[in-house]
Amino acid sequence: METLVIQTLNGLVFSMLLFVMAAGLSLIFGQMDVINLAHGSFYLLGGYIGFTMIRQYENYWLALIIAPVIVGTIGFIIEYAILRRIYGRHHHLNQVLFTFGLALVAADLIRWNWGSYVITVAAPPQLQGQVPFLGIQFPVYRLAVITFGLTIGAILWIGIERTRIGMILRAGVSDAKLLSGFGVNIQLVFSGVFAMGTALAALAGVIGAPIHSLYPGLDFEILILTLAVVVVGGLGTLKGAFLGSLLIGMADTFGKTFLPEFALFLIFAVMASVLILRPSGLWGLRGQR
Amino acid sequence: MTKEKPAGFNRRELLQATATVAAGYTAVPLLAACSSSDARPAKIGVLLPYSGIYAVLGESITEGIRMYLDEIGNQSGGRRIEIITEDSQMMPDVAQQKARKLVEQDEVDFVAGIVSTGVLYGLRDYFDSAKKLLICANAGGNKISRELRTPYIWRTSFSNWQPNWPLGDWAYKNVAQKVFMSAPDYGAGHNMVDAFANSFQALGGQILGMQFTPFPTMGDPAPFITEIQGLDPPMVFCFYSGASAVSFVQSYGEFGLTDNIPLVCAGFTVEEDVLPAQGTAALGALSSLHWSLLIDNPINKRFTAAYKNRTGKDANVFAVQGYDTGRVIAELLIAVQGDTSDVNRMIDYLAGISFDSPRGPFNLDSQSQNPSQHIYVRRVDEVDGALHNVVIEDLGAFTDPGDNSLG
Repeated sequence: METLVIQTLNGLVFSMLLFVMAAGLSLIFGQMDVINLAHGSFYLLGGYIGFTMIRQYENYWLALIIAPVIVGTIGFIIEYAILRRIYGRHHHLNQVLFTFGLALVAADLIRWNWGSYVITVAAPPQLQGQVPFLGIQFPVYRLAVITFGLTIGAILWIGIERTRIGMILRAGVSDAKLLSGFGVNIQLVFSGVFAMGTALAALAGVIGAPIHSLYPGLDFEILILTLAVVVVGGLGTLKGAFLGSLLIGMADTFGKTFLPEFALFLIFAVMASVLILRPSGLWGLRGQR
Repeated sequence: MTKEKPAGFNRRELLQATATVAAGYTAVPLLAACSSSDARPAKIGVLLPYSGIYAVLGESITEGIRMYLDEIGNQSGGRRIEIITEDSQMMPDVAQQKARKLVEQDEVDFVAGIVSTGVLYGLRDYFDSAKKLLICANAGGNKISRELRTPYIWRTSFSNWQPNWPLGDWAYKNVAQKVFMSAPDYGAGHNMVDAFANSFQALGGQILGMQFTPFPTMGDPAPFITEIQGLDPPMVFCFYSGASAVSFVQSYGEFGLTDNIPLVCAGFTVEEDVLPAQGTAALGALSSLHWSLLIDNPINKRFTAAYKNRTGKDANVFAVQGYDTGRVIAELLIAVQGDTSDVNRMIDYLAGISFDSPRGPFNLDSQSQNPSQHIYVRRVDEVDGALHNVVIEDLGAFTDPGDNSLG
């Protein structure tokens, strides 16, 4: 019984990390109708920049702020310089090829700069060590990850549902052209959203680094899991990203606990079942139409 | 205007794009293969992962091969030696395609490399029917020395049985009589666990449980560590490599197990390529391997110093395997006086190759087609401010039995 509670906690930690990733991917899709296959690369880039910051200034909290800002800026530039040229439904293939190409280039650039050895990042001193919990020792940092995830979720929810910028974003999801007709600079909104989405990926990268380390190949590992989340949860909604993350995170953890040989299979079995029963995802944007 | 229904990607567009990319990709090597010179160099096709989670292994092996070849001036047996590298991407189908390219287009004299057992097994039939020599510089799948043995595949690395069978015996006598086992769910993971279990159980050791984890990507190891924590065994045996080795050992420390449950493992788990990243979580881990950075022999001292000088990194077991692969090929070229036309003659000479390697005495065993070599028990300790594997016992030379009688 205790083990079950602890495994649930493990599942929650993993879910929250996935949620920060999926929220960014979902935000970009909902707003811009672009599937960003380089999302995993922004995660990894964020993690590595965070690592460099921590080594330089020995301050995790600074890295947690600066890495997303740098990566978000890179995202902004990419959107401004290239991505906006290939918007629109008939450009879907171009978008996929472009973002996939971007992921490959990023993987090589990252390896070129940081090498291919596995790099670990220490948790901040305040969050190191373990707390006794139900007869075992549970790492403090993992509890903090749950808090990070919930906090980021709450901020995003308030930002989207309760602020003027959020209102513009929600309107953009419904009809970008009409919004533009009302005098909103939709290009700027798109650039901002893409920067925001990539910054979220970088944030996840810094949060995830002390748990998952950093190494070449992690970008696609995390991308695939994030895609599984948005397929299950549905693209374009925060709720979909949140609940999808919980479902995939728990499926992964309990799959590993009870059917370790089939753990990976289980995630994709969940994904396939959702695709068959509800192609637009359980809480997806398209499902509401 | 409302948004249209979800857009499916145009299948034809995708196919066209794929075909264009594929055509561009294959044309380059074709053109390169057309130019040839008269004094034909001996070509080694090096097939290794240069991307993804085992990129470090690929890089280390390549660096080892190049280092040996540089030491002998890139020629042997009267032939200049050339290397052509290809990325196997750790995928059996990609490796198959690249192996064909190396053999049929580049017309290499040998193929060397191969990191993962799955890739090695996938290539076995091709080399067997093409009658080309494959010198395996890492993948340790037991079957290649046993039921899948072919005269055309020889190993300079190890069989998965080799480090683990002696360790099971040693761990029973020196650490604990009960064990929980953890390994990735693929050929090598099962091989290593079976070998350890065989000798451990032969002495009366008891296995409390086993977990086989997803491969190649384990993801978050926390659920597995929690399972171990719940059972609280007196000893854990594990095998992991590369990024999974870092994740597993790091979580082992994160959940506070490092100080409480002795970790006994196949040496790759805490090898020099991952040890700096694992940090103090690996402290005290006991492992067995056919090499250690700190083996005290003159050849190893020279090798490790030269490698560090060349790359700025400490050597690791994969670099040693690459170095010895270079040496085996060079020695073979000397033996056949540069004549690589008769593969059967080369095979006859391979069986006799022996030399002093950084790992100690190295003999290519003609029966298992795999080295007979010493196995060392090592413990992770702090040496001069850094973590390294200190040799605590030399268990002597071991040769793969060539069948499944000992696990």
